[in-house]
Amino acid sequence: MSDRIRSGNRWLLGAGLALAFAGAAVAEEIVITDHENREIRLDAPASRIVTIPMPLASGVIALSGGADRLVGLNPLSLTAIREGILGKIFPDAVNIPDAVTGTDFVPNVEALAAVNPDLVVQWAGRGPEIVDPIVNAGLNTLLIKYGTEELTRQYMTMVATAIGKPERITELVGWRDVVQHEIEAKVARIPQEERPNVLYLGRSLSDITAAGDNGSYSSWYIALAGGRNAAAELDGTSSINREQIAQWDPEVILLNSFEPNLDVNWVYDDPILSLTKAAQQHRVYKMPLGGYRWDPPSQESPLTWMWLAELLHPELFDYDLRAEMTKAYKTLYNYQLTEADIDGIIWTAQQGDSLGYDQFAAQ
Amino acid sequence: MIGLTNAVVRFGNRCVLDQLSFSAERGRSLAILGPNGRGKTTALRAMLGFQALAAGTRTAPAVVGYVPQYASSNQSYKVLDAVVMGRAAGLGLFGQPSARDIATARDALEQVGALRFAKERFDRLSGGERQLVLLARALATGSKVLVLDEPGSALDLNNQARLLRLLSALRAPRDRAIVFTTHDPNHALAAADDALLMLPDGPALFGPVAETIVPELLERLYGVPMRLVNLIGEDGTGQNAVLPAFAGRRAA
Amino acid sequence: MSTQIDDGGAIASRWRPWSHTGFAFASFGVALMGAILVSLCVGRYSVSALTALHILGEAIVHPGQAIGSMDQRIVLLVRAPRVVIAAMAGAALATAGVALQGVFRNPLVSPEVLGISQGAAFGGALAITMGIWGVPLLGIVFVGGLSALIAVGMLARINGQTEILTVILSGMVVGSLFSACVSLLQFIADPNSSLPAIVYWLMGSFATATWDRVLVSAPGLLLGIALLWALRFRLNVLSLDDSEARSLGARPDQERWLVFVLVALIVGCQVAVSGIVGWVGLVIPHAARLIVGHDHRRLLPATALLGATFMVGVDTLARTLTAAEIPLGVLTAIIGAPAFALLLRRHFKDREAT
Repeated sequence: MSDRIRSGNRWLLGAGLALAFAGAAVAEEIVITDHENREIRLDAPASRIVTIPMPLASGVIALSGGADRLVGLNPLSLTAIREGILGKIFPDAVNIPDAVTGTDFVPNVEALAAVNPDLVVQWAGRGPEIVDPIVNAGLNTLLIKYGTEELTRQYMTMVATAIGKPERITELVGWRDVVQHEIEAKVARIPQEERPNVLYLGRSLSDITAAGDNGSYSSWYIALAGGRNAAAELDGTSSINREQIAQWDPEVILLNSFEPNLDVNWVYDDPILSLTKAAQQHRVYKMPLGGYRWDPPSQESPLTWMWLAELLHPELFDYDLRAEMTKAYKTLYNYQLTEADIDGIIWTAQQGDSLGYDQFAAQ
Repeated sequence: MIGLTNAVVRFGNRCVLDQLSFSAERGRSLAILGPNGRGKTTALRAMLGFQALAAGTRTAPAVVGYVPQYASSNQSYKVLDAVVMGRAAGLGLFGQPSARDIATARDALEQVGALRFAKERFDRLSGGERQLVLLARALATGSKVLVLDEPGSALDLNNQARLLRLLSALRAPRDRAIVFTTHDPNHALAAADDALLMLPDGPALFGPVAETIVPELLERLYGVPMRLVNLIGEDGTGQNAVLPAFAGRRAA
Repeated sequence: MSTQIDDGGAIASRWRPWSHTGFAFASFGVALMGAILVSLCVGRYSVSALTALHILGEAIVHPGQAIGSMDQRIVLLVRAPRVVIAAMAGAALATAGVALQGVFRNPLVSPEVLGISQGAAFGGALAITMGIWGVPLLGIVFVGGLSALIAVGMLARINGQTEILTVILSGMVVGSLFSACVSLLQFIADPNSSLPAIVYWLMGSFATATWDRVLVSAPGLLLGIALLWALRFRLNVLSLDDSEARSLGARPDQERWLVFVLVALIVGCQVAVSGIVGWVGLVIPHAARLIVGHDHRRLLPATALLGATFMVGVDTLARTLTAAEIPLGVLTAIIGAPAFALLLRRHFKDREAT
């Protein structure tokens, strides 16, 4: 189109990304290719965004630097905001309408239309039933896939482009790249037998689930931080029993941050789990809950990697987690973390006496 | 003893039993005859207590030895087990049959001549054999009243004869009241003392067999000409029989 | 004129009622014992069979002893209660199935027919959604199952009588209603906590078995089985037509309801500790019938033993075949459906022969 050519500049996006993105005219039209290879065209940077996938609500807040561009979100995103610190940082965020979608990602088109969005973010690859109603309503729809570091960087880039803030790409996506390389460089020198067996439990209270290597983000960052996935033999996410955990005898156990009633005592009070190496050495940690849960990929993931790397190989890493968190939250949300905030995020009260947690203590 | 007094049963607007009264005393045997749809089955069910009465009363002992025409369709029990069920009334909800109960059941089987089937499966027996087992079960209850629902209707002639002999033998000691329904007046002649005719055109008639199993009344009952004939029976003595005159061949 | 058919004689010498059944029961007992022992000795955590048996022996001889090592804990705190719950559930479900098949005179019924399983499922899903666990969950599950039963009773009562067909139809209606309510609960449940809990629990599993759960569910299960056992002769009578049963002194209407309540008790207790486990109540009674016949005095204990053995065997497979736990419902269906097909063929061929 002639308008695009007239504007002149094209932006090519970051080097480490697999997909090539169509360039966008900064001043005029914005063109994005999403994860289903659809082209989304915006006349102006998006300022009224609805996010249906759960992690994207806080993602959009982080990329925007505030909650004012978010006009609709998933009810579960709202729960996470209320439970975590984002509700404190952005008190108005708890009032954002969540009727726009059900928890099963099926959109409520009338509620959607009522908030008059200029961009709706929805899952890719889960069928047209959750996409078509939005598209048919004439709304711009951005479809994203989720689960690996690669995909995460891609959709963060897409959103940053959509809101007309390409500088956020360097700040948030570039940051991930930097931290990943830092950690990888140090971990490369660790021999296999010194990499501890780490077991991440996706669920604990109803049934117990763990995940094998394929398709598991936790497995990826466990390896990144210099550990080995104790549940590697599983195919995808599966229910397991205590006997199997006893058989694996992990050296570190990571508990999910999704179950609010779950804390490390669940392991220590269990007659079987309390005999694992992890329990015996007090290396049981619940994943922190910050602006979003630290288990799945989010805008705070590099903090997760640092946190885990410090716990797995404290002698090798010298991240000052509290300082990193403070710096990150300034960049992400323009918020000054208090010491109490940090303790709340990393569950100091519940697991402060776990092995290695003293390095995270406030000075 | 068992019977109904001024019994009234209505199904909707239709009055099926209207002031019906009859009884079978201890030692007497009663045959109930009537065309289809005239209340024979209803009278039987009322007598057994399965049918509520709109008016009138029912007299019956606590447990009645009931012999249904057909057994429940899926009775795959062994014959002896089926007969032992007759002892249920005396056992209560959680009772289990004792050795004496089992002995009583075996005696009942012997009495009807079916002991040799004791270990067979009930549903593998022929129709006639099944009828005997059901009768044994009714006997095993120990009740002094036996009620049989059309006992001969599904049997071939040989088995009918056998059954009638059995009924007569059961009547002989004169210690039971026996009631049975039947389509065939000859059954009444063979095994009953009294008969109840459920007449289509008027109130039911109750009386001794000699007075009720007569061609005029039977013609009123069935709407078919009936004839009384005299036969020489098995033991050489004279025997009455009643035949319907709608069948047969023209004599030369 | 003879009045009796000659007996044919020599019946007494053929009268050996227990020889065949005695052997069958001995086999059942041995099979159950074997299944239990094998189950205690195998698992994802390696404990040699000898060690496991030794631990077991020690525990029986010195019950008060502290349980310290991992081996001991695995055998006595993980496997043992699981085996006990599986055996009790298998026996209870099979017994409930055979009792229902008797009073319904239909070999195709199971607790799902009365809507009891669905009612219990709803109770559990409701409790989980409200965040209630432990003993109160069990109570709510049982109340759910009982409510379904009462609903069926009220729905099926016409003119003071309950016909069997009406009960089955009412059971379908009530069952569907409760199933729909469970789906509704799943829809509004929190996908992070309640929903996976409900889904997992509905699928059925003994993985959460502890001695506490054994203690909570055992009284109801054992009471239910015991009372049904006491009713074994009465079940024979109740399996006849209502008229025949009445003439034999039974009150089929009321006595059927007693059986239903016992079934609700059993199913409620079982669903509360291990979710919905299908097929057992349907298939095991058939298998038992083929071996020991229809008389409930023999059928009931046979079914209970077979059910326990089957459940222990299936659960052992579920927790040892792979690192992941295979859902119990999947295994019982995979094994149960073809087995049922074979049994049905035997059953009908059998009937053809009569």
